[in-house]
Amino acid sequence: MGEKICILPCNGLDKSLGVIARQLALEIIKKNPTIELICPVLLNTGDQIYENLLKESKIYVIDGCMTRCATKLIDKKGLQIKNRIFVPDITKKYNIKPGKELQLEDETFKRIEGIASDIIESSKESEGLEIPQALKSEEIEYFKVKMDKFKFRVPKQGYFFNENDCWIKLQGNKGLLGITDYLQTKAGDIMLVEFPELGLELEQFDEAGTFESTKTVLPLISPCSGKITALNKVLENAPELINQDPYGKGWFVELELKNFEEEKELLLNGSAYFELMKKKLEKDQKERERGDEK
Amino acid sequence: MSEEFNAETETFMGVPRKKIPWYPIINYSKCNYCMECDKFCPHKVYERRENEEKKLIIKNPYNCVVFCRACAKTCAPDALLFPDKREITKLIKQIRAESE
Repeated sequence: MGEKICILPCNGLDKSLGVIARQLALEIIKKNPTIELICPVLLNTGDQIYENLLKESKIYVIDGCMTRCATKLIDKKGLQIKNRIFVPDITKKYNIKPGKELQLEDETFKRIEGIASDIIESSKESEGLEIPQALKSEEIEYFKVKMDKFKFRVPKQGYFFNENDCWIKLQGNKGLLGITDYLQTKAGDIMLVEFPELGLELEQFDEAGTFESTKTVLPLISPCSGKITALNKVLENAPELINQDPYGKGWFVELELKNFEEEKELLLNGSAYFELMKKKLEKDQKERERGDEK
Repeated sequence: MSEEFNAETETFMGVPRKKIPWYPIINYSKCNYCMECDKFCPHKVYERRENEEKKLIIKNPYNCVVFCRACAKTCAPDALLFPDKREITKLIKQIRAESE
């Protein structure tokens, strides 16, 4: 691709996770000096020094915690994030105990070196992936219901759902996963997606990635077990497709199925999920009414 | 009405929600009361107790969305524990089979 990468970490002076974010960014640029570092404090002063760099580069952010300062700085500028690294995910994955102090232990320093190499490698691998053809949403027949100003759809056939409002659409021994109209509406405008790693083996109801909206961060709970075989990388630059076309272009990951026939027992078909969704909508409305009364 | 009210009648996969022990447990030896989990959770699972020794408790465990562990990601000291997902799935299957 040859396109430049710049990296914006958390400032790293508030929590131990932030210190890891900062150190990770320093290791990444040490290992790959073509990647440019952006100082969050200087960026936040509104300094124009990074103006061109940000426009010409793929932007990586490293958020230390849920405050997500690095992500917010880029959102504020109306720019797209190419890759978001979330330190709590990293510490869990690599089994690092962050501790309460702002000083990192020697062992953690060494581990961060390895993580930086992994991140650089996976950024190369993610280029040029073969992506399965997205679902053609115009061919889907839906159950539909309207609530206030929102319309909610559920595909009539071919999709299976869990009660966590996620779906799977079978394609031979594989399945595409995504979230339902109900969940995308509840989440609001989706700004960012976080994919699991390719090749990761999931159990039924494991997390198959997360998505982040202006309101919240939510997991996609996989309806089935299997191995992740593809990611819908288009969502990195166009996460709004999940809101616009949740059962089609907004698909999230592809899974090679392991045990679908048995796992199907705990899933709902379109008409059963549609009934469940209507109950959820009624409950949400009652909660809103109770809130208004207070 | 308390937030507990819904949990009395709620079901998940056809099983009464109260029969599914899916909710976080706070490891108080690790918790530093940063309250990130409470700020994050929209389901009012947690409650702050400013003047008590345990400044954060699990107030409404059954409001927790089964299989969701999103709040645990906000926890820097890794003080939130959830049950084993496979065990919970097994339990749900078992209760469903018994009620058939």
